[in-house]
Amino acid sequence: MAQADTDRSARLAQLLARTALADQAAFAELYRLTASHLYGVALRILREPAQAEELLQDAFVNIWHHAGSYATAKAKPQTWLAAIVRNRCLDLLRRRTPDTVTMTRDEDESDMEFEAIGPTPEEMLLAGADAHSVRTCVDRLEGGQKQAISLAFVRGLSHAELAHHLRQPLGTVKSWVRRGLERLKQCLEASGFAP
Amino acid sequence: MNLGRPDRSNRLDALAAAYALGTLSFAARRRLAGQALRDPAVSTAIRAWEWRLAALADGIPPVLPPPRVWERIQARLGLAGSGTPATSRSRAPMVVEPRLVARIRRRRLRAGLRPRDRPAVAHRRAPIRKRGRGAGRAGCETGAHRDGRARQSLPDGEGGWDVTIARDRSLELWLLPDGRPPQSLGLVPASGIERVALRAPAGVALEGIPALAVSPGARGRLDYWGAHGTRALHRPDRADVLTCARNPG
Repeated sequence: MAQADTDRSARLAQLLARTALADQAAFAELYRLTASHLYGVALRILREPAQAEELLQDAFVNIWHHAGSYATAKAKPQTWLAAIVRNRCLDLLRRRTPDTVTMTRDEDESDMEFEAIGPTPEEMLLAGADAHSVRTCVDRLEGGQKQAISLAFVRGLSHAELAHHLRQPLGTVKSWVRRGLERLKQCLEASGFAP
Repeated sequence: MNLGRPDRSNRLDALAAAYALGTLSFAARRRLAGQALRDPAVSTAIRAWEWRLAALADGIPPVLPPPRVWERIQARLGLAGSGTPATSRSRAPMVVEPRLVARIRRRRLRAGLRPRDRPAVAHRRAPIRKRGRGAGRAGCETGAHRDGRARQSLPDGEGGWDVTIARDRSLELWLLPDGRPPQSLGLVPASGIERVALRAPAGVALEGIPALAVSPGARGRLDYWGAHGTRALHRPDRADVLTCARNPG
């Protein structure tokens, strides 16, 4: 698993390097290898296929123009790519005001079939934490902390939306998130999983 | 969001975590992103949290995007429609010819590179352009410069490039072997060059090298990035690079 992950990172780093040099074949291969994952991330957060498609287009146009700014010393290629997509999704979501637009969607799960049949945000979080140390650290979070962080990460919910979704006071949710992240960081650093 | 307070480190870490997780408001996100552009400590803190959290995204089930997404990306970037560069028939190196700075003639390139009649050029922001004169010559395109330090024009009807490079910059020519680090062929003198010796890395046939590139970099200083043996040119501004690349197929 670790070797496969390393091989994939090396391959993606190579494709990014060649994309930075305007290699269209490399760019096409990069898209082929990563678009499904990135589209899945965007779809979970935006919950509107048309918006997710548009965002994925924008993200890859951006990647084409700025592949050279990727620095492998700072992050794995997958991390860099996912951060681009997540940040764009979050910017788009947060730009929407008022928040009730998103909260209404939270309550209406009828158009979210993948939510009904798929894993929960917490399960996704744990499934994604393929490194043993990360999985262990996520699993050690208290129930409220884990739930709040999972929903925020996978579905892009803000503090206010988390409070609404979890039916908890805003201060409680903020505390869960803050303390959960602190514990996650401490646990990861204790495991040697540090940036 | 006063990051100048004594407890700046903890405050910054908490904000960076909230930014990476996505719980900040739009205004707070914009403020912090703006600060990250000016303050390396802020950008480092954000990257650290993105690094910690991004691995968690691996558990999100992938969803195959509709084919139209890729088609629209290609259309927006003016890329070839097949998913491969429009250069697939050429096995010869590209010719890079920024006329006022360097003149590299492919017919003078040394070593067993068979010239082809019609090498095409993969490029980024304009339709494929072939050299107007002489078979086997190809022009390369670069994007418009955004920093004003350099300027270059698209090939004119007769072919040729007008390139102005800032005085603190120099051109460097590179071989780009597949799966190996780019190999520098040296700096291109301002007076231009007429002959370039292609020295393939050990174990690589010249015929297997699909691309050449020219990078305008800060004079006397070149930065690289990459890992796992892959190395490529680093440019603060991608548009500063002249690139000729083609599909090795």
